[in-house]
Amino acid sequence: MSKIVMRFTGVGGQGVLLAGEIFAAAKIKEGGYGVKTATYTSQVRGGATVVDIQLDDNEIFYPYAIDGEIDFMLSVADISYQQFKNGVKDGGTIVIEPNLVHPTEEDRKRWNIVEIPIITIAKEEVGNVITQSVVALAIANTYTKALDENLLVETMLSKVPPRFHELNKKAYELGKKYATEAMAEA
Amino acid sequence: MSATREVISSGNELAAMAAVDAGCRFFGGYPLTPSSEVMHVISDLLPKVGGAAIQMEDEIAGVAAAIGAGMSGVRTLTATSGPGISLKAENLGLAQMCEVPLVVINVMRGGPSTGLPTRVSQGDVAQAKNPSHGDYKSITVCAGNLAECYTETVRAFNLADRFMQPVFVLLDETIGHMHAKAEIPTAQAVKEGIVPRKTFDGAPEDYLPYGVEQDQPAVLNPMFTGYRYHYTGLHHDASGFPTEEIETCRKLIDRLFQKVEKYTDEIESNEEYMIDDADILIIGYGSASLAIKEAINMLRKDGIKVGMFRPITLWPSPEKRLHELGQKFDKVLSVELNQGQYLEEIQRSMGRLDIAKLTKTNGRPFSPSDIIEKVKEL
Repeated sequence: MSKIVMRFTGVGGQGVLLAGEIFAAAKIKEGGYGVKTATYTSQVRGGATVVDIQLDDNEIFYPYAIDGEIDFMLSVADISYQQFKNGVKDGGTIVIEPNLVHPTEEDRKRWNIVEIPIITIAKEEVGNVITQSVVALAIANTYTKALDENLLVETMLSKVPPRFHELNKKAYELGKKYATEAMAEA
Repeated sequence: MSATREVISSGNELAAMAAVDAGCRFFGGYPLTPSSEVMHVISDLLPKVGGAAIQMEDEIAGVAAAIGAGMSGVRTLTATSGPGISLKAENLGLAQMCEVPLVVINVMRGGPSTGLPTRVSQGDVAQAKNPSHGDYKSITVCAGNLAECYTETVRAFNLADRFMQPVFVLLDETIGHMHAKAEIPTAQAVKEGIVPRKTFDGAPEDYLPYGVEQDQPAVLNPMFTGYRYHYTGLHHDASGFPTEEIETCRKLIDRLFQKVEKYTDEIESNEEYMIDDADILIIGYGSASLAIKEAINMLRKDGIKVGMFRPITLWPSPEKRLHELGQKFDKVLSVELNQGQYLEEIQRSMGRLDIAKLTKTNGRPFSPSDIIEKVKEL
């Protein structure tokens, strides 16, 4: 596998950090290298948050995504979308929460922008907004095919208390379903 | 330490694990971004091994509690970021003067003052050399990757007991929070490498804790074991009681220097990366070295031969090796996330002022392209 670089962006408090750790851990379990870094502001809630994930078969030194090398970005807040979108390579995929992120027409020409209501899915279909991180994980893996799905789900479950396993499995399945449908429409 | 294990973790978490594996049984501190995870993790780990972690009312009380634990003979830790070190400074001077072993983890963020709480910096390198007033010799190590957050913390505990003084472990926001794979020694291997501090086992009436050779640290028996002695921040004699006697005062401060200066070989640790055939030398440490390595690999693909010298022990500095490298390389570039705090030490050690510098103090990390651009200008 060549290097895959992903970026998840949101605002502080949304819990986008966990998906990054799961990706990195699953890639390492597979025998490769995975690195997650998070950058956030000193505001407890509401500041732009960005999580960079790099997965590679070769050792990774520099822990942040390099602008222009990002294959896939997922954004659930406009403030961080606007701030970090330019790191995505031309033609790369950006999945946005359409209720919260507002790309320009220029953006739609430059990148493959996909609208999936991640937060609404988590809140209303899964039944717990906190599962948005897992919905996002499923969407990102469906698009990038970065990792074997069973390994990823198993890693995800290992980081979640057992009583929430069913809920998070459901979140993963829904994320995958929406992403697959969005890919079919494109 | 040959037996290793692979873990997936963050720098702060690894530092906390290392402390416990190295025999630390007390943590006193106050949470401060970006170091808080050290306290979170060790608060969970210490009670499981019979230790204790206390969140005190502030950073000052945190280090005071840790020093107290050190006086009682326990391996002890405090962790904070630059603003916390500023508060702890006075008590760190007390620990230097009393020769109390202690490990201080500083996960650096932007400063001065409250600065940039969540963002990376290497602005506390000069502070680590002299956090408190007065003369003493700092021992400061700096982790340049995840594994070193573990191994350097372990080493710091052993150095603290060997030299009987506070030892700084510098991490920074990037390395403290990055999350990836690290290959680290097993807990058993670390345990086997522990060398406890020296103690005096003669008759209590013969015990003189500071009555040691001029190049040796104090021999401080744990408190409450029948050996009574005195701790003071004042200049003191062999018994630990205050004195202003001229020769005793001179010898005390001389000894605080000599106990370290005569044994720098035991403390020095560096990484040399692709130096042998290099035409250009970059000097950097901590998380900046991650961008430097990436940049070196990219530059070499373009046929530009660059190498890196990375001090792991920042203080005392590797002055002899720096001097040699200064004679070998015409083009030297210093890269650090401050305005050139270590550059001055490089200039001093190399005995030359024509060292190029790349600095950044806006809370953002270097990217490899920053470094590539600068190297191409040289």
